[in-house]
Amino acid sequence: MNRQPYKRAGLCCLAILLAVAPATAQQNAQRRPRRAVLEIPEVERSEVICFALYTVHDNTLKLTAQLYPLQSGESRTVRLEIEKDGNWVEVARTSVVEPGWTAPFRVENWDDTQASNYRVLHGAEANYEGVIRKNPVDKDEIVVAGFTGNSIQPAHGGDISRQDLIDNVQQIDADVLFFSGDQVYDHNKHLAAWLKFGRDFGAIIKDRPTLCLPDDHDVGQPNLWGESGKISTISGNADGGYRQPGIYVQEVERAQTSHFPDPVDPRKIGQGIGVYFTNLNWGNIDFAILEDRKFKTGPAGRVPKQGPRPDHIRNPEYDPASVDVDGAILLGQRQLDFLDDWAQDWRDASMKVALSQTIFCGGAHIHGSANGRLHADMDSNGWPQTGRNRALKALRKAFAFHYAGDQHLATIFHHGIDEHRDAIWSFCVPSIANLYLRWWEPLEPGQNREPGSPDYTGDHLDGFANKVTNYAAANPEKTPAGNVLNTRSAGFGIVRLNTKTRQITMECWPRNVDVTDPSAKQYPGWPRTISQFDNYNPPSWGKLGELTFDVDSPVVQLVDRDSDEILYTVRIAGKRFVPAAPKDKTFNIKAGKDAPETIVVQDAKVGGAAQSVSLK
Amino acid sequence: MNESNPHRLPIACLRSGAFCCFAGWTWVHFYWEGPYGVLLWQDATYDLATRLGLSWDEFVGTGADDGFVQKWIARIWWLYLACTLLTLTVRKTSWVQMTGLVLGSGLLTLLSYASYVAAQRQLPMFIEHGGQMLIPTILVMALALGAGHRVTVTTAIIGLIMTFAGHGCYAIGFWPTPGNFYAMTTLILGVEYPTAQFLLRAAGILDFAVCVGICIPYLRRATAVYATAWGFLTAIARPVAGMSWGLNYWGADQFLHETALRAPHFAIPLFLFCLWRKPGEKEALQARQPVTAELH
Repeated sequence: MNRQPYKRAGLCCLAILLAVAPATAQQNAQRRPRRAVLEIPEVERSEVICFALYTVHDNTLKLTAQLYPLQSGESRTVRLEIEKDGNWVEVARTSVVEPGWTAPFRVENWDDTQASNYRVLHGAEANYEGVIRKNPVDKDEIVVAGFTGNSIQPAHGGDISRQDLIDNVQQIDADVLFFSGDQVYDHNKHLAAWLKFGRDFGAIIKDRPTLCLPDDHDVGQPNLWGESGKISTISGNADGGYRQPGIYVQEVERAQTSHFPDPVDPRKIGQGIGVYFTNLNWGNIDFAILEDRKFKTGPAGRVPKQGPRPDHIRNPEYDPASVDVDGAILLGQRQLDFLDDWAQDWRDASMKVALSQTIFCGGAHIHGSANGRLHADMDSNGWPQTGRNRALKALRKAFAFHYAGDQHLATIFHHGIDEHRDAIWSFCVPSIANLYLRWWEPLEPGQNREPGSPDYTGDHLDGFANKVTNYAAANPEKTPAGNVLNTRSAGFGIVRLNTKTRQITMECWPRNVDVTDPSAKQYPGWPRTISQFDNYNPPSWGKLGELTFDVDSPVVQLVDRDSDEILYTVRIAGKRFVPAAPKDKTFNIKAGKDAPETIVVQDAKVGGAAQSVSLK
Repeated sequence: MNESNPHRLPIACLRSGAFCCFAGWTWVHFYWEGPYGVLLWQDATYDLATRLGLSWDEFVGTGADDGFVQKWIARIWWLYLACTLLTLTVRKTSWVQMTGLVLGSGLLTLLSYASYVAAQRQLPMFIEHGGQMLIPTILVMALALGAGHRVTVTTAIIGLIMTFAGHGCYAIGFWPTPGNFYAMTTLILGVEYPTAQFLLRAAGILDFAVCVGICIPYLRRATAVYATAWGFLTAIARPVAGMSWGLNYWGADQFLHETALRAPHFAIPLFLFCLWRKPGEKEALQARQPVTAELH
């Protein structure tokens, strides 16, 4: 048998195999948009300070200057000067920390009653200037601009200028900037990407307190279940822990969080990774800064497999209780203890806001690209359900509003634990440039929808059977048409916290609009205004008798008479307050000017009589 | 068996390597999901669907149901299972089966391309899959042309060099070293980051030494032994680092296939070593072979 033709055919097949893939790749490379080139640029020595982030809390200024890599032989000392009476006065100096080239400053006894010009200096030439704002305690409305998901890839519109965001933040004169995560998507070159982030946003960051929460992509992995610093080995990292070495994660957190107020419980976790959960009190708003991911358990191998990935549940018939396994952690006890203390502490605070990476539910149904419907995603804070409920119970005791991102899909949810709408509200902001698409698209119309609202709103159960009520979702286009920025539902959020009326207004803006233009439109469903007190006002509750105080806006606390458990603590607005409470329980009411130190009403029940209370 | 006797062992190496590789990927496609998502959500895909006369909803599903893409991705495991079986049944004269295996190489090439795209088009990600992509074709060549045929050997060397060069590019840091390289080194050896980094850099240098040494006749046997050992160790590193008594099935469903699908990383160098044994070793081995093997 002559096998020569077969041999030739075989060789041809091999040649085709080896040639086709690279050739195809090359063709695709020519068709698709160019990719972002992420390099650290060479800069003049006078420009070696890229940007600076700061917070002021409890009369302590913490400022971190981010430098470009210094050359050998250059000084590692960086100085911080403040302008006083027209003269620059050095208030701190510090050494540059490598790796990462950060220069963290700390100035105690900071006078936050007045604004100060500052400048960061390195060597003889480098000079970076900004403004430390005064604490805006005299403002009725505190404006917090919120961002998430900062893809720089052209395929997502990430190469489009952020100038619209800069202009809008300056026009609304935001008091605080909140970047909820994924400031950096490059999994290996955080410094280069962080410097780019600084070049893009430094103009607004330098002049106002800024909070950046590192999320999964920031620390170099697609999803993050930190498991207190464990090492992850599987693709997707659902086994829990960090994919990159601890030293990499430490560098990321140093760059993004070392200017935060000191952590309330600074014990390190595995691999020498620090923690940063704490609170920031600014403008009479008390922000809890949480770490959703750091302590969270990874699902792989711990929950029954329900889909094509360890963290994805495709089977709609699965038993949600089966994945709520013993020992699975969400926030972790250390953060829950912090929240318990934070919820009771109303010094210099009229309203409370929790900031974290993502929201406490499965806030999307269709994930990714063409992969279709997911019943549930354990990367969300909807899992583990027990941990989710514990977090919400802690937050609602403070009537905290939750501001987050991560989902790549802007939403408003009112969360429920035992009944729909018995816990806090959350606002998930849209991505700056959206890497990964998600849609909120329940199969059944929601119950108890507002008149005229879309079917996807209303009361639902998420994929983990958590009770959620949706009020808005900025779903992207269903087909890839255009596929940049607003067709991918990119944008940013604004939250206006009115400390006088205690109203919270959520705004959700697309990219490249002027938010001050009366004709500019937000995503459907926004703006929405709620009351601070809506964050813990279960439909089944009734009202206790009205309390009238002889001091303005005291702190009131309800304590269950039988269990001694605190139901909630809040600084009321004005002198009159009608506490809401469960109908079948009896409460002792404590109150005080700045702390609930005195029992002012005993054995209060729903429907009780009005009372006058003296706290002078 | 229809393989000529001196080449029986080398071909067995290729068979088992290709079998494990396809079996591992069959498991991925059956139990988990193939990594094709990154290729699908593009304007070009939308255009293709339109040209095929499918609406976008029909193509990718409405969200309420699966579309063309999901249905067919879920069925791909059958192709891998068929290729797995072909690695056992293919013989010198079975041209249909050989063609099937060459197409199997095409499937693995598509997988590697998807991984390459998902890795932000890092070239080493595609290159390091060279051994996996080529092993079915090398098996076909070994059967059709002979295990010792220069085309077969050259292709095997290309596959080995691709695997080790790709791995070396990452380990030495020419492209950013993947975090799981550090993770596995740290977990298995119990070392801190600086030591792990030193070990990875050293391994990267040795990876490139393998690429050179395998081309030098005087060094190639020792190189093939090292490559076999290192290929095996890196293949089993994932289950060793990740499996635990505390996990469901001890984590076997997540980790064992990671070793199986990397079998070509040690099977190809082992194939080359078997070919390049000294004549005395070959004769001794031949003498130990059962006579029946020659009757086929």
